[in-house]
Amino acid sequence: MRVLLAAARLQLATFRRSPDDLMVLLTVPLFTPIFLVIAKHAGRLDLAPYAVLAPGIIAMLSMALNTSGEIIERDRWGGTFELTLATPARLPVIVLGRVATVTLASLLGIAESWLVAYLMFGIAVPVLHPGAFVLTLTATAIATAGTAVVFAAVFVWTRSARTFQNSLSYPLLLLGGALVPVALLPEPLHPISRAVYLSWAADLLRASLAPGPVSALWPRLGIVVGLGAVGYVIGFALLRWVIHRARTTGKVGYA
Amino acid sequence: MSAGRGVAGRRRAAVELAPQRGPQPAAAAGANAVLAAGRRFRNILTVLRFAAATGFADFGTMFTWRSWTIGWLSRVLCQVTFFALIGRLLGAPEAVRYLLIGNAVLIAVLESAFVVASTTWERRAGTLPLLIAAPTSPVLVFCGRSVQWIASGTASASVALFVLSPLFGVALPMPQALVAVPLIGLVSLSAYCLGLVLAGLVLRVMQLRNVVGNVTWMVIALLAGVQVPVTFWPAWVQAASAVLPARNGLAGIRALLDGDGVGAVCSAAGLEALVAVGWLAVAGLIFRHLAEQGRRDGSIEFVD
Repeated sequence: MRVLLAAARLQLATFRRSPDDLMVLLTVPLFTPIFLVIAKHAGRLDLAPYAVLAPGIIAMLSMALNTSGEIIERDRWGGTFELTLATPARLPVIVLGRVATVTLASLLGIAESWLVAYLMFGIAVPVLHPGAFVLTLTATAIATAGTAVVFAAVFVWTRSARTFQNSLSYPLLLLGGALVPVALLPEPLHPISRAVYLSWAADLLRASLAPGPVSALWPRLGIVVGLGAVGYVIGFALLRWVIHRARTTGKVGYA
Repeated sequence: MSAGRGVAGRRRAAVELAPQRGPQPAAAAGANAVLAAGRRFRNILTVLRFAAATGFADFGTMFTWRSWTIGWLSRVLCQVTFFALIGRLLGAPEAVRYLLIGNAVLIAVLESAFVVASTTWERRAGTLPLLIAAPTSPVLVFCGRSVQWIASGTASASVALFVLSPLFGVALPMPQALVAVPLIGLVSLSAYCLGLVLAGLVLRVMQLRNVVGNVTWMVIALLAGVQVPVTFWPAWVQAASAVLPARNGLAGIRALLDGDGVGAVCSAAGLEALVAVGWLAVAGLIFRHLAEQGRRDGSIEFVD
C-alpha cells in the first residue's frame, strides 16, 4: 500500500512539471461544444446527454493512452527506470499506482464536460440513475486502469510507440461507442466492439442518464469489470516479460 | 538578415555592391541587379529545400510506409468515421455529408498543426543559435522545416474524403471532385502558416507545444464551418473566424462538391490564400523578433 501511495505521489508531482500530461483536460472543454453545436444545429438537443458524456469518455481513454501509456517509456528516457528496477518495490505495483492516479485525474473530464455544457449552453444534463452512474463510472475507471497497464507495457516494445498512441485513440473510441452507440456501427464490427470494455461502459453510462430503467445493470457491470480484469492479467504478464527482457538483454535504459 | 555576417554574407554583399563601384551603363546595372535578385531567389529555394529535406528525414524516422498506412491512416479514417456517424445518430443524411466532408478536410488542419511541436524540436536539438548566427534568415528555415505535415495532411485528408464518401453514400461529382485535392493542399498550407505563428510564440514556452497545437485545430473544428455552418454562430464570432484557416477553403470545397460555379470555388480559394499570406507575414515578424530579442537578452539558447 505504501508503494502504491508513493507511486501516486510521484505521478502527482509529474503532473505539476508536465502540462502535456493533463492536455486532455484542456481540450475537453472544446469537445463538449463541438458535439453540442452539432446536436443543437440539427434540432436534436434530446441527444445532449450523449454529447456531454462523450468528452468525459474521450478524456479517460486519451489519458490512458497518452499519459499512462508513456509511464515506463518516460522513465527509460529519464534514466530512472534502472533505479526503479533496482528498488525492492515491485514494478507492477508502482505502475498500477501511477496509472490509477492518471485515471482518477481523467475523471475530472466528466465534471468539466457537464460544467461547460451548463456555462456555455445553459444545458444541465440530469443524472437520472445516480447509483447506476456512479457504479458504472467506478467500474469503467477500474477497467481503464487495467487497459492502461497493457498500454504502458506494450509501448515499451517499439520505438514507434508514439505512432501507435496517436493511431489507437479513434479506433477505440469508435469501437467503444464513445458517442455513437455500437448499434449504429456496421454489423461486422459488432463482435469486435463487444470485446472492448468501453462499449459496455458507454452504453451503461448513457442508460443511467436516460429516463427509462437501466436494464441488466449487474450483468453489464460484471462484463465491464471482467474485461478490465483481462486487461490487468495481460498487462501484468507483459510487464513481467518486459522486466525479464530488459534485465536479460541489458536494455533497461537508453544509451 | 544582415548581409555582412559570415563568408557567404560578405560574398553576397560584394555582389550587391558591385554595380556602385564605377560608372556603368544603365543596362549593365539593371542586368547585375537582375542577376543578384536571381541569385538571392536561388539561395532562398536552396534553404527551403534543405529545410524540407530535414523535415522529411524526421518524418521518415517517425513513420514507415506500413506504420503510416496501417497506423496513422487507419486513425484518420476512424476519426472521420466517428464524426460522420454522428450524422447517422441524428438521422439526417445531409448531416452525414456535411460532417464527413468537413472532418475529412479538418485532418489537413490537424496535421499542419503539428508544425507547432516540430518547430520546437529544433530548439531541443540545440541548433537554434546556429540558425540565428547563419547568414540566412531563420524564418526561411522554419518555413521549410515542417512542410512534411502539409504533404502528409493533404494526402490523408484526400484519402479520407475519397475512400469514406462512397462508404457513407455521399456522392462526389467526378472528375471535378478531384480539384478538392489542391484545395485541401491550400487549406493545409494556410493552417501551416497559422501554425508557424504559434510555433514562434511557443518556442519560449515549449511545454505548451502539444496543448497549443491541439487547441488550434479544435478551435478551427468548432468555428470554421467544419461541424456546423459558420452562420450558426453570432455575427461577432463569424467576423472573428474570417481569419481562421479552412473557413474559406472548406467553403470552396463544399461549393465544388455541391456543383456550384467556378467563381464561388475560386473566390473561396483566393480568400484562403489571402489568409495564408497574412499568417505567413505575421510568422515572419514573430521569428524576426525572436531572433533579435534572443541576441539582445541571450535567450536564444535552450531555456526550457
